[in-house]
Amino acid sequence: MPESTQIHDALGAFDKTTSHWGRITMIIGLFFSLAAPAYLVFFSGLDIELSGIFAAFAALAAVFGVIWIVEPLTYYPILGASSMYQAFMIGNISNKLLPAAMIAQSTIGVKPGTRKGELASVAAICGAAAVHLTSLFIFVGLLGTWLVSVIPADIVQTVQLYILPTVMGAVLIQAIVSQKSPRAAVIALVVSLIVVFVLSPLSPKMALFSTAIAVISTAVLAWVLRDRQKTDVAERAEEETPPEGPVY
Amino acid sequence: MYLAAAVDNNSTDILAVANSPFLWACAIGVFPVIIIHSVIYMKAAQIAAPHIGMTHQEIKTSCRAGAISALGPSLAVVMVAVALLTVFGTPAVLVRIGLIGSVSYETAAAAIAANSAGAELGGPTYTQADFGLALAAMTLGGAMWMIATLILTPLLKRGDSALRKVNPAIMLVVPGATMVGAFMVLGLGELPRSWIHVIAFGSSALIMTVLMIIAKRVDRPWIKEWALGIAIILSLVITHLATRA
Repeated sequence: MPESTQIHDALGAFDKTTSHWGRITMIIGLFFSLAAPAYLVFFSGLDIELSGIFAAFAALAAVFGVIWIVEPLTYYPILGASSMYQAFMIGNISNKLLPAAMIAQSTIGVKPGTRKGELASVAAICGAAAVHLTSLFIFVGLLGTWLVSVIPADIVQTVQLYILPTVMGAVLIQAIVSQKSPRAAVIALVVSLIVVFVLSPLSPKMALFSTAIAVISTAVLAWVLRDRQKTDVAERAEEETPPEGPVY
Repeated sequence: MYLAAAVDNNSTDILAVANSPFLWACAIGVFPVIIIHSVIYMKAAQIAAPHIGMTHQEIKTSCRAGAISALGPSLAVVMVAVALLTVFGTPAVLVRIGLIGSVSYETAAAAIAANSAGAELGGPTYTQADFGLALAAMTLGGAMWMIATLILTPLLKRGDSALRKVNPAIMLVVPGATMVGAFMVLGLGELPRSWIHVIAFGSSALIMTVLMIIAKRVDRPWIKEWALGIAIILSLVITHLATRA
């Protein structure tokens, strides 16, 4: 058998195994994650209206719908087909899995986008997953649950009441810094100020849609008022490079 | 149903529901799925490696490098996850924040769901039913990422050209603006609730800004990794002191 056919067969088998089992395990993971709320909604005795869930989901789709599609598109060229299922099931992609893959590739001296790079990143993500599962299980599952049970009630109450503004303050700054688009940040600030302090007080019904209104207006305005020089350069650069096929 | 005693729509003891055995079972169930998945992938990589001129040692080295580099980020995630335990309970935090999702999206999703029902995440009126709604919305939102991955990956693998024609300028501007817009309106929306909410939001944003500036000045990537956890814990301490003032 010629060497090239052998390589082709070996990689074909790898692609087949990873995409077959990657999909199956992802669907099982999806099932376990959906089972928890399904139980609360249908069997626990709590009155959770389906219409309420649809309304919440619609609000979420209006806010994050674009990102649901764009994120897999963005990560595909970096991760490669086999790691896609791995990454989107394990989560925390940008802060943990991508750095792990890149460090592994540079450790053994292979380039991202090549087949060697792909195998290195698969192995790196497996290693990262092992560490992550272990630390989550021990520090959150066991120690965390214990910690919550022993800390004083007034501290628990502070955390419950104020965790949302605390998380949002830090996450917002992180998002602004990582996006490197001060223009979009200013637009978001102006739009949100108007929505929160002018529109929402006008009618309580407005509050239900306030997030979606603010996010959609920000996205549209950021697009209309974009820095055309910068983005159009990106557009032209993309047009000149021919679309890439799967990387072999 | 053995949960019956603890279940009460109007009860704000959300942990009675959030830490229920069935939710624990679902959360623990995800662990072996990821372990089996990793074992299959690792074996497949080991088998394919020699055929493209990689040694088994190189695959092992990659695995170890990935494991070591994940230590910092994993513990950083743990720190944030523990802070969220009182709002979502351990099982939901393990699955939604630790695995599958991420802190920012899942918390935003839960807040949006609570808002759509006129409730306040973690607030004095945050009931068991509100938690159920928030968990359902977070999970459905997270499921959309997985479904998008399941549908798009085979298409991208075939080199589907329609997907590659998505205007790159839109890809550059819109997702980023969406994220900043969502966190901005959810954050500012907390401000009218009380002056302590203002302190919580302001101190957390300020600490994060300082940490980002320091990380840039001294070029230490680990500061960026730990920034979210440090900002959340420190501003919770400040907020707690403010409640007693």
